[in-house]
Amino acid sequence: MSKNLTQLARRKGIEDTLFQRLIVSDKSSKSLSDEQRKSAAKEFLIGEAVVKGTASFYDFIDGKNANKKAYICDGSSCLCAGTQTKVLQQLTNQFGEDQVGHVTCLGRCFENSAFQLSGENFSGNDIDNLSEIVKDKTSKSNEEYQVKTSLTTPILTAEIDNVNQYYQQFANLLVQYSADELLVKIADSGLRGRGGAGFPTGFKWQSCRDVISDEKYIVCNADEGDAGAFSDRYLLEQRPHAVLYGMLVAGYLVGASTGVLYIRDEYPAAIDIVEQAIAEFAQLTAIKDVFEFSFKIIRGAGAYICGEETALLRSIEGQRPVVSVRPPFPTQSGLFGCPTVLNNVETFASIHYILSENGQDFKNMGNGKSTGSKLISLDSSFINPGIYEVAMGTSLDSVFELAGGFSKPLKALQIGGPLGGVVPLDKVSQLTVDFESFAQAGFLLGHASIIGIPSHTKMIEYIAHLFEFTAAESCGKCYPCSLGSVRGHELVKNAILGKQLIDRELLNDLLETMQLGSLCALGGGVPLPIQNILQYFDDEIRQYCQSPSSVKEPANV
Amino acid sequence: MSNSSITHLTIKNRAKPSAFLNGVNHRIVKGESILDFCRRLEQEIPTLCDDARLEAFGSCRVCSVDVALSADGPRKVMASCHSPIGDGMHIFSHSERVEKLRKNILELVISDLPDDYSPQSTPQNSEFDQVVLDSGVSEVRFARGKKSSDNLPEVSRDQSHPYMRMNLDMCIDCNRCVRACDEIQGEQVLSVSGRGFNSRIIKGQDVSFDDSDCVSCGACAQTCPTGAISDVFRDNLTPDIIENIESTRTVCSYCGVGCNLEVLVKDNEIISITAPNDAEVNSGHTCLKGRYAWRFYNHPDRLTSPLVRIDGELQEVSWQYAFDYIADKLSEIKSEFGADAIAGISSARCTNEENYLLQKMIRLNIGTNNIDCCARVCHAPTAYGMQKSFGTGAATNSINDLKQTEFIMLIGANPTAAHPVTGARIKQKVMKGTPLIVIDPVKTELARFANWHIQLRPGTNVAVLNMMAFYIISEGLVDQSFVDNRTEVYQEYSQAILALNIDELAAISGVDKELVKNAAIAYAKASNAMSFHGLGVTEHSQGSRAIMCIADLVMLTGNIGREGVGMNPLRGQNNVQGAADMGCQPHQGAGYFPVDDEKNVNYYREHYNVGENEPWPTQIGYKIPEMFNAALVGDLKALWILGEDVVQTDPNQKHVIASLANLDLLVVQEIFLSETAKMADVVLPGTSFLEKSGTFTNGERRVQRVNAAVKPKDGCKTDGQIIVEMMNALGYSEPEYDAENVLAEIAQVVPFFAGITWQNLGDNGLQWPVSDGGEDTKILHVDTFKRGLGKFHFYQFEESSEIVSHGKQYPFILTTSRNLEHYNAGTMTRRTDNEMIVSEDVLLVSRQDAKAKNIRTNDQVRLFSDRGEIELKAEVSDKVKAGVLFTTFHFPELMINQVTGNVTDKHTKCPEYKVVAVGIELAH
Repeated sequence: MSKNLTQLARRKGIEDTLFQRLIVSDKSSKSLSDEQRKSAAKEFLIGEAVVKGTASFYDFIDGKNANKKAYICDGSSCLCAGTQTKVLQQLTNQFGEDQVGHVTCLGRCFENSAFQLSGENFSGNDIDNLSEIVKDKTSKSNEEYQVKTSLTTPILTAEIDNVNQYYQQFANLLVQYSADELLVKIADSGLRGRGGAGFPTGFKWQSCRDVISDEKYIVCNADEGDAGAFSDRYLLEQRPHAVLYGMLVAGYLVGASTGVLYIRDEYPAAIDIVEQAIAEFAQLTAIKDVFEFSFKIIRGAGAYICGEETALLRSIEGQRPVVSVRPPFPTQSGLFGCPTVLNNVETFASIHYILSENGQDFKNMGNGKSTGSKLISLDSSFINPGIYEVAMGTSLDSVFELAGGFSKPLKALQIGGPLGGVVPLDKVSQLTVDFESFAQAGFLLGHASIIGIPSHTKMIEYIAHLFEFTAAESCGKCYPCSLGSVRGHELVKNAILGKQLIDRELLNDLLETMQLGSLCALGGGVPLPIQNILQYFDDEIRQYCQSPSSVKEPANV
Repeated sequence: MSNSSITHLTIKNRAKPSAFLNGVNHRIVKGESILDFCRRLEQEIPTLCDDARLEAFGSCRVCSVDVALSADGPRKVMASCHSPIGDGMHIFSHSERVEKLRKNILELVISDLPDDYSPQSTPQNSEFDQVVLDSGVSEVRFARGKKSSDNLPEVSRDQSHPYMRMNLDMCIDCNRCVRACDEIQGEQVLSVSGRGFNSRIIKGQDVSFDDSDCVSCGACAQTCPTGAISDVFRDNLTPDIIENIESTRTVCSYCGVGCNLEVLVKDNEIISITAPNDAEVNSGHTCLKGRYAWRFYNHPDRLTSPLVRIDGELQEVSWQYAFDYIADKLSEIKSEFGADAIAGISSARCTNEENYLLQKMIRLNIGTNNIDCCARVCHAPTAYGMQKSFGTGAATNSINDLKQTEFIMLIGANPTAAHPVTGARIKQKVMKGTPLIVIDPVKTELARFANWHIQLRPGTNVAVLNMMAFYIISEGLVDQSFVDNRTEVYQEYSQAILALNIDELAAISGVDKELVKNAAIAYAKASNAMSFHGLGVTEHSQGSRAIMCIADLVMLTGNIGREGVGMNPLRGQNNVQGAADMGCQPHQGAGYFPVDDEKNVNYYREHYNVGENEPWPTQIGYKIPEMFNAALVGDLKALWILGEDVVQTDPNQKHVIASLANLDLLVVQEIFLSETAKMADVVLPGTSFLEKSGTFTNGERRVQRVNAAVKPKDGCKTDGQIIVEMMNALGYSEPEYDAENVLAEIAQVVPFFAGITWQNLGDNGLQWPVSDGGEDTKILHVDTFKRGLGKFHFYQFEESSEIVSHGKQYPFILTTSRNLEHYNAGTMTRRTDNEMIVSEDVLLVSRQDAKAKNIRTNDQVRLFSDRGEIELKAEVSDKVKAGVLFTTFHFPELMINQVTGNVTDKHTKCPEYKVVAVGIELAH
C-alpha cells in the first residue's frame, strides 16, 4: 500500500473515488480513454501509472474479461456439476467466442449453468431460453433455492416485516443503554467474524472504539468470492436491512458516521437491492434524529483478492488491491488511514438479534467458543440445495439430512471455499458446524459453503484447478503465492499430461513454502485442500508421482 | 474469501521490555520490527524487498523468522520486516525451517529468471546475487515453466531515455522501484500492471521512460536489487571496471540542499555517482543534477590554460605570466586610483576556504572592502531581514524538522525544481496530509497539492503577508505569551497592521481575501508550523521587507525555537550561506562583523597580523550592482570574478556588458569560457567541485566536507590554489592551498566555526554555531533570540518602481525561475545529457492572454521591455494567471536578462528579477 495514495484518496473522500470512476457499470460501453485517465490522474493528484496499475488489476476494467457481452461462470461448483460445456457452447454460438468472458462464481451454485448477460445473472434452465433472454432485455432469471432453518426462532433468516419497527430497536437501545453496555452485549454474545477467520467481533469493535479519531469508517465485506458461497448474496438480496442495521450499530459504537458496502460486481441484483434499502433507511427520520449515519456502496470489479480485508480497503482507495502488511490493523488504520471496522455481511446481520430481547440466547447456541447461528450454502450436490441456518455446533450430518441428502454420487466435499478443506465423505460424521470441530479435524469451516465433488472427478484435476484458481487470483505481491501457484499448477499439469511425474518432495516443499511464507490466506490457505487430497486420495494421486527411488535430473542454477 | 487470522501476541508487563534472539536476551527498542531488532544486534537476515528507507512491504518473505512466546513454545513463521518485536518474544533467525523456507522461495524466484542466470562471485554482484550466494541455493528443481518475461513489451526493455534504463528480464517484482518513486521522490511514475504472476512494472500508462513524467531522480535505479531498473552509468559497471574502483564521498554543488554524493572513480575518471544511504541530508536520495549531470567535469570545452588578452585576443599563457600580469596591473591601478578602485566577486559555487581566501586577498592584500558574492543577487535580503528581526541571517531550523512539523508555509519558492530533495520531502509530507500554504504567482508542482494556493500578482508579497498578519491578529490567534516574553514593538506593529485596508490590499495583490483569511487562521492554529521561502520573496524591491514580514508571522504565532517550526530560506546555491559566512560581503567581514566598526577593525587586524602601520579597509565597500555602476562611471578600474557569469545572470545585460567593458582589468576564474570570461583580460582555469576539497555550508547551516574525487584537469588549478598563488604574487606569504589548514584559520576568525575541525565534521558535517567542544546547533533562537528580543517590523506595501514607471507601456509582468533539469546559467548542466531532456527556455502564457494575443503553444513570441527584446517559444499554460508571464533563464542563446531591469531591493540592492514590466507579441 502507499500511504501517499491512501491520504490523497482521503482528500477526495468516499463519494468520489478513482476506483468507481474506472468502473464502467454498463459493460458494453468503453472504459476511460488514456487521455481521460491522464486527466483523472491530474485531478486525483496521482501518477498516471497508478491509474493504469489499478485499472489493469481488475478483470472487468482492463482485464481480459472487460467489456464482454456474456460471461460464463467458472466457479468450482459449476465446474464440478459439469454444466458449463453446454452453457459455453450456447453463449459462443450466440455471441462469438471473443465475446464470452469468465467470472468466478455468480453464487448460483444451487442450480449451476450460471452465466451473466447485460448485468443480469442467469442459471439453471435459463440457458435453454437464451434466445428469448437476448431478445427481451427485461428477462429475469427463474432462480430458486431453499431457505431453511433448524432453529425455532430464526436469526439470520427471520423475515423483516416492518422496516420502521426494525430500526426502532436502535433508537430504543440508545435510550436504555450506554455505548459501553451495548459493546459488552456484543462481546458477551461470543459473536465471531463470519467471513471465515472467526475473530471476536466485540474485541474488534472495542479496539476501534479505543482509537481517538474524528474520522472512522464501517466497512462491510460483501465481496463474497468463495466459489460455492451464496449466503451473503442471500442476506444482501433478502435481508439488506439486517446488514445495514449491524453497520449502523457498529458506527454508533465506534464513532463512525459512514458505512461502506463493498459488493462484488458479480452480484448486480444485490447492489440494486441494497441501494434501495439505503434509500429506505435515509427516510427514517427517527433514526437520523438520534444518530447521523450514511451508507455508500462500492462496486467491485472482479478480483477475488478484494475479499481480503486490506486489499478491499486499498481497492476502495483506488490503489492496486494488493494485500497490505499488518500491523497496522484496520481498526487502527483502515480506510483512508482512518480507524475502520471491517466485517463480513453475515456478522453485521447477526447484530439485530444479539441486541434484541432474546439476544442472550445467541451465546447459548453452539459450543461456547463458536456461538449463535451460521448460514450454510449447499450446492446442487444436495437434493434441496440452498441456504440453511443452523445453530453453531449442529452436526454436519443433520444439516445434510435437512437438505435431503446428496443428489448424486460424491467422493468428497469442499467446505469453506477454495481455501477450505477437502473433506472425504467418511469424515463428515466427525464434524459439527463450528470453527473448532473443523480445525481439529484438519479442515476449515470458513464461510461454510459446501460443494460436492462428484465421484467421477479426478482429484489430480481438482488440485490443478485449485492451483490455477490461486494463480489467477493471486494479487502478485508475495513470492510464495504468485510464483508458487504457477509452479504448482505446472507441476500438476505436467503430470496430468504425462510430461513429468510429480516430485513429491518438491510438491511438499512448495506447499510448505506457500503455507508458511504467504502474506495472506490465499497463498497460505490453498495448501490445505491440496494436502487433504494428497492425504485422503493418495490412491488416486500416487500414479502421478515419482516413486521415491526414481532419479531426478536437476536443472542447474 | 476469508480474512486471514490475526496473530495476537500477549505482551507481558515487565519494566524493561526485552526479547530473545537465538536464545540470548536483549533489550528491545520501541517501534522496531523484528528485522530492525536483529540487525541492530548484528544478526544478518537476508532480504530482497526491504529498503530501510521505505515502508515495510512484505513481498519477498525471505526475511521470515521463527517466533515463539516461550523458549519451548509453539513457533510461528513471521516475516521479520513487518512484524513488530514484542516483549518476551523468542526469535529464531536461522532455524532449520526458515532456512529451508528462504531457499525454497529463492528457488521460486530464480525459476522465473532467464535460463542463463547465475549469481556470479565477482565484486559487481547485485544485492540479489549476494542473497542467492549466501543462501546456498544451487538448483532449480522445477521443470522450466512459463516466465513472467516471456511476453515483455518493448517498453519493458527500455533504452529511450538519456539516463534511465529498464530491462525487466531480471525483475523480481520486489516493487522497491515503485515504492521509491512514490515514497522518496513522490512522483508515482512507476506502478505495476496486471496481477499475480503477470504483474509487471510500468511507467506512466505503460510508456517508455522518455515518454513518461519521470524526473530522472534515479531513486528506482539506486534501490533496484537486481539492476532490472538501472541507468546508463550503473549499466557500465562491468566486472573489469569494478576492479580497483575508488569511491569518494563529497557534497553536490547544484543547490543549497547539500546532498552527499558517493563518486565512483577509476583511473581518475568518474564512472558513476550515487547517494549514500547514511547521509543525514539526503538519505540515499538526490536529483538528476546531482546523480547524472556530472559529465561537464571533463567536457572538451573545459579551459585548460590561463588566457591573457594580448592584441585584443585571449591567448594561452603560462601561470607565471598570468599572475605577474595581474600583479603588475593591480599595483598600477592601486597606486594610481587607490585600493577602492579594485573589487572582487566571489562564488557561492566554491568552497568556504576559497571564499575565505578571496575576501582575505581583497581586504588584506588589496586593502578594500569591495568584495561581494552572488548572495547579493539572491538571499542578501534574507540575511539582512532575518538579522533585523532575529539577529541571525540564516535558517532557524533543519530540513529534518519536516519530520516533526504539522504545517508548512511555502513562499516564493519552487523546491521540487530548485531544491529537489527538499521539495520531495515537503511533497511527501503534504501528500500524507500535512496542510500547505503556497504563496506564489505560479502554480508550481507543490501548489497543486496545496490546501491554500495564494496566487498573488508578482511583487505583492508584502501586501499578502500583511493581510495574513491582519487576520491572525484580528481573529485573536496571536501567541500572546510568546509575543509578550520574546519580542518587542508589538503594540506599534499590531496597530499599524489593524489599520490596513484589507480590501485594497486584496485588490492590489489580486487574491481572494477569504482564501488569505482561511490560510492565516490555519497557520496560526497549527501547533508546529514551518515556513520556507525562496527567491520569490527576496528578489523584489521590497525583498528585505517581505522577509521581515515573514518573521513577523513567525513571531506572532510563536513558531520559533523548537523542532518542527521556524523560518527557513531555501538557499539557492550550494555554498551561498558559506560565501556570506566567510565575509564575501562589502559591509561585513568573515563571521558577520560590520567592517566599519572600530572594534571589529581591530579584531580583524589582530587576526590577520596586520602591522600597526599597514592599512586595513574601514569603509563599507561596493555591492555588486554598485560595482557595475562604478565601473561605468570610471570609479572602479579592476574586477576579479570567481566563478560567476554575471553577463548572463545579472539583470539588465546591456548595462552589465557596458560596465565590464569600461574596466581596465577584468580577471575571471572559470572552468568554461563563459559570457563573462569572453570579456575578461585574464582568464584563470579553475576546477569544479569534483576536483577539489574544502567545505560547503548548506541552507541549514550544515558545514560539510567536500572531497576531491579526481585530480584537477590538466592545466587547471583548484580555485583556492589560484588565489593563494595570486596572494604570493602580490607579495604576501600564503601557504599552498590545503583545505584543512584554511578551515583551521577560519575557525580562529569566525566565532560560530570555533569548534569545527576537518576531522570532527565527519561524513555528515556540523550545523553552526559549533562551540569549542564540537557541539553543533540544530535549532537557533531556542530560549532567546540572537539579538535578544525578536523585533516586529511594519512596512506598507509599495508598488515597484518598475511597474510605476513602465507598467502602462509594458502591461505584462514577467517573472523568472529555475527548472529541475538545469542550473542557473546552465554552464554545467547544458554540458550534460540534461540538455537532451530540456533543451530550451519557454515562456508560459495564460490561456486568456494567449487568446487575446492569438498565441498558441510552440509559437515564437517577442518579449520586450524598456531595456531590450528577445524571442522565445511560448507555451499556453494554466500555471500562470492572466497578465503574468513566466520563463526560466538557463540558455544563454536567449539572454533573458536583456529584458530584466535596474530596480533593486531598497536595503540590500538585490535585483528585482521577479518583476519585469514587459510586452508580448507574436513574432513574425
